[in-house]
Amino acid sequence: MKVLAMYNIKGGVGKTTTAVNLAYLAAREGQRTLLWDLDPQAAATFLFRVRPRVKGGSRALLTRGRPLAAALKETDFEGLDLLPADFSYRNMDLELDDTKKRTRKLGQLISTLSGDYDMVFLDCPPSISLVSENVMRASDLLVVPLIPATLSLRTLDQLTGFVADAGGNQPQVKAFFSMADRRKRLHRQVIATLSADHPHVARTIVPALSIIEQMAERRAPVPAFAPRSRAAICYEQLWAEIRPT
Amino acid sequence: MRRSSFPPYLVVGQGQLLGFPEADESPLTVEALAAALTDDFAIEFGPPSVVHGADLDTFDRRLGAAGFSLHHLSDPAGQQLVLIPPGAHAPLTMPVTNAHWPALVTALPAGAVRDELAPLVTIRALMVLDERDHRIRHGELRNEDQKILARLQLIEQAADAPAWLSVNPLRGYGGDTRRAVRLLTAAGFPPIRPVQVALTRNDTGVRQVRIERSAPAITLLVAAWSEHLAVMRANLPGVLDDVDTEFLHDFRVALRRTRSILKLGRAALPKDVSDRWEPDLKWLGDLTTPVRDLDVYELGLPEMAGWLKAAGPADLQTFAVQLRRHRSAARRTLVRGLRSARFRNVLSGWADVLADLAGPPPGQASGLTVGELANRSIGRAYRRVVRGGADIDQGTPAEALHSLRKRCKELRYALELFAPISDRAARKRVVADLKDLQDVLGRFQDADVQKQTLYRFAEQMREAHAPTKALLAMGELVSHLDADQQRARGEFDRAFARFSRPAGRTRIRLLRVGR
Repeated sequence: MKVLAMYNIKGGVGKTTTAVNLAYLAAREGQRTLLWDLDPQAAATFLFRVRPRVKGGSRALLTRGRPLAAALKETDFEGLDLLPADFSYRNMDLELDDTKKRTRKLGQLISTLSGDYDMVFLDCPPSISLVSENVMRASDLLVVPLIPATLSLRTLDQLTGFVADAGGNQPQVKAFFSMADRRKRLHRQVIATLSADHPHVARTIVPALSIIEQMAERRAPVPAFAPRSRAAICYEQLWAEIRPT
Repeated sequence: MRRSSFPPYLVVGQGQLLGFPEADESPLTVEALAAALTDDFAIEFGPPSVVHGADLDTFDRRLGAAGFSLHHLSDPAGQQLVLIPPGAHAPLTMPVTNAHWPALVTALPAGAVRDELAPLVTIRALMVLDERDHRIRHGELRNEDQKILARLQLIEQAADAPAWLSVNPLRGYGGDTRRAVRLLTAAGFPPIRPVQVALTRNDTGVRQVRIERSAPAITLLVAAWSEHLAVMRANLPGVLDDVDTEFLHDFRVALRRTRSILKLGRAALPKDVSDRWEPDLKWLGDLTTPVRDLDVYELGLPEMAGWLKAAGPADLQTFAVQLRRHRSAARRTLVRGLRSARFRNVLSGWADVLADLAGPPPGQASGLTVGELANRSIGRAYRRVVRGGADIDQGTPAEALHSLRKRCKELRYALELFAPISDRAARKRVVADLKDLQDVLGRFQDADVQKQTLYRFAEQMREAHAPTKALLAMGELVSHLDADQQRARGEFDRAFARFSRPAGRTRIRLLRVGR
């Protein structure tokens, strides 16, 4: 089982859309796939038409021994299950703090599903927190969407530094440009600067496209409702580039 | 809960299984379902598609006996094999392309389905036992967010079957689905427990005849022959089509039993019956022998490869090719014989004889009872084995052991034939000792015959300039067989002593005369 976390310290960079689309693509190629929505905004949960309601909240899962399997929801797409989020997830940091091995709890919980899934995607909330530390330790790969802006390099450096300092399991880090707009000079410049042989940056660029925004309206992954769209092709290329072997 | 037959591959899914037969008073239609589900749920169905379902098993139903069911489904989207293990809610599936039945398990694509099937079916071919088409509409049960809660299959009404709905909840939506099911139940579509459709093939096993000691012996003979004739007829198409090796094997076993009973029952039969039919049935046995012998070699090749020490399995390749060539030629002769007028006449003539013998009065039969014939036949067969065995010592030629093996077979068939009137416990013990002796004699003779045959094959291979390694491998096989034969010979005295001990004689007496 491989664990991939969609992570960025910043919000609004395309983590959820990436998680939803890549998880769909993994399931479509036959991988038994789980997406765990860790963000209390529950956007991924919403996109799969699942109600943001977790029985007993995150506390039940983290501290009261409710098995993850009991909270699973099968999505409308074959081979793709979801662990939904709800608003109780805003307290996840505090609840993790109450557990033994507080930086490894999420990894322990995920490992209980190792026989059931080939790929687990984590859609992370935007922050540096105990949840983030757990995610670092649980993941094999951090997928980092970056908006091509001046501060992107700094964000990426901060993140790789954070991973290096976290100790224990150190996931690989793969960033990619998300919501890129080639009409903007600044975007073109940043992409040109950062893409050039940077070991942590993928070649694939996912542009800002209205079809991606339509996911919220269609409540489905782009490759499911617009399989021939440019966005779908970009996500397929991204998945081909970063998918763990 | 009502029970009704239902093709299992249409309802087995990942979760809870529910089915609804058509309500007696109202038709099961999309409109009726939608009306029953009120505003809380929505249903959507696609256009109907035709699914062709074929039930597969071996001729002797090995999968069914182990609680498995196997199906080949074809629809416009593709083909797949569906294997349902006993008690499983989740079937194993495997996509297939251009599958043709019958097929050996080795012809299936590698994967979990083949791995599961291989130890169950071994050398028997998978064949279609029953098949039918279903018109199916796939659909979904959704909530107000348009989230799919359950997958639906509406199997449309056919001439011989009512309409069905299967409901397969998605993980995490069992509660919502149960609520929808309650609404459907209230609307007159009650849940039923699906049971597997009964397969339509006849049982291929030999049935035990019920008969009294005082009944005319001819009645027992005819009943046993009729069973064996049915087995021969049932296996004949598989022999002709070369479906797998066991059709011929089972055909020959039934034939051998038929011939043995002809000998055992001679005293109870009109004289011309034995004289007339023994030569024809022997002809039929001889016709089938060469292919069976070659089958035994082919089936034994993997085991033979394991005997090799200096040579490797690849060195048997030339031998394998030689076997296949000989088998092809032998099969041509066999098929010609089985399609001949003589064979047709033998089979139909034999059936006519059985019909005549079964009809009252029993013609020129002797009037012997089953008990009297059992006394004579078992006693005679037993004495022949004991005398034959007692004559064997270290210097006895192999032919004498071969002859003793035949006598043992006769006794075994006699014990089988008169099983309906014999003491079960005594027969079981006698058969156990006899099997032990037969096993030793069988290994001795098989090794002897195989050695000679391998010499012949090696000679032919040498003349055809086979590689030296291939000839040396044949030498290793012969050497292994020789050691095997010596071992079996060494075990003979013990096995025979056990069989002929006084306790065995007492049991035989009990089997002859009854309690």
